[in-house]
Amino acid sequence: MSNNENKPLVLLIDDSIDVHRLLSARLRHEPVRLVSLTRGVDGLEHVRRETPSVILLDLDMPDMDGFEVLRALKDDQATNNIPVIVLSGLHGSEDKVTAFDLGATDYVTKPFDLAELRARLRAALRLDRLLKLLAERADVDGLTGLGNRAHFNKRWAEKVAECRRYGHALSLAMIDIDLFKKVNDTFGHPAGDEVIQGVARLLQTTCRSPDVPCRFGGEEFALIMPNTGPRDAEMVVERLREAMEQIEWPRHPDHRVTLSAGLVGSDSSCGDVTCDQWLERADQNLYAAKHGGRNRVVASDIQRACPLTKAA
Amino acid sequence: MATNRNPGPVGGGALSSEFAGDPDMTELVQMFVDEMPQRVDAMLDCWEKGNLGDLRRMAHQLKGASGGYGFPTVGQMAAQLEAGLAAVGRTPDSEALDHLRTQVVELVGMCRRVTSEPPSGA
Repeated sequence: MSNNENKPLVLLIDDSIDVHRLLSARLRHEPVRLVSLTRGVDGLEHVRRETPSVILLDLDMPDMDGFEVLRALKDDQATNNIPVIVLSGLHGSEDKVTAFDLGATDYVTKPFDLAELRARLRAALRLDRLLKLLAERADVDGLTGLGNRAHFNKRWAEKVAECRRYGHALSLAMIDIDLFKKVNDTFGHPAGDEVIQGVARLLQTTCRSPDVPCRFGGEEFALIMPNTGPRDAEMVVERLREAMEQIEWPRHPDHRVTLSAGLVGSDSSCGDVTCDQWLERADQNLYAAKHGGRNRVVASDIQRACPLTKAA
Repeated sequence: MATNRNPGPVGGGALSSEFAGDPDMTELVQMFVDEMPQRVDAMLDCWEKGNLGDLRRMAHQLKGASGGYGFPTVGQMAAQLEAGLAAVGRTPDSEALDHLRTQVVELVGMCRRVTSEPPSGA
């Protein structure tokens, strides 16, 4: 997956090629991926394939006009939460009222000020993020924005089931901040929170897109690595460990913080090893990493390391 | 509804984009200027054939786009033509046609003045 594909998708539906060109040029430096279509019907088809973060919608289009497109979007449960900014040459308040009543998030009249449109787009993207966050709130850790324990439990059960059923490789790392209590006691809880948030950011930037980083609780994190055997997974976690020890923390620049990790993985089907048994084994490896001197990764293969598999 | 394809000089010199010199816009402004003769021809075709619906759509699009390319005055004039076409409907009387003709000539004249060059003295 390229970087561009990770950017939020902004879908422009406007029959004017000029508007396509102008927005493409003016949004070039925004962290978004712009897809431009000229017909409402094509826009709706695209939305069904790939959900945009924001839709920029012209009203005055031949065939299917913007109101019809807006109505169709809002009538569909799968698309009704997508923020829609109406771009229109229709200045009448009646059109604006209709657009807002149909569920538009914003209304920008043409010719639009592109700086203002960019600002409105950013606001709509913020709204999109908040809506998604709200939907996922039950599964999100408030301090870090990562999935919480509940989220981990769900995703982990899915991945173990896939590994068992399809023989996909799978790895799990339990990651713990070394001597975290000392950070809190010496530099205060805000410094401790900063470290936890820093680890979360590191997880988000170091991991590959299919990986699922979660805050397991306290200063402990879990990293699910689908389609990844233990050797490759060890490289990912080792990279994370190395990156962590390089971080200079603003509140305590002379005090580096390190990570220990216990990792367990399988190159093929994990047989009857249960979710809890995986966790148990990863915890044992984490314990070994701590007792081996911290700031290290201890990894093993679930098949060889877990005798319960053979017994089953 | 015939009109003169070369309606003669219209007051004012070359019309530069407000974005002349903006590196993000250089290529687009050039493209807009390069394509302007086709737009003008298409508008005049619509006018000569009495195809006021398509002419209104072109004026509408020009209104929406011109400001974005840094030619707000073209957009304003396109907006006036669009409004004029909306007001007269499909069967304008001769007085309305005269007024529309003036608006078309003025818009075409302004469109022919657009240039990708920066304003003189800039």
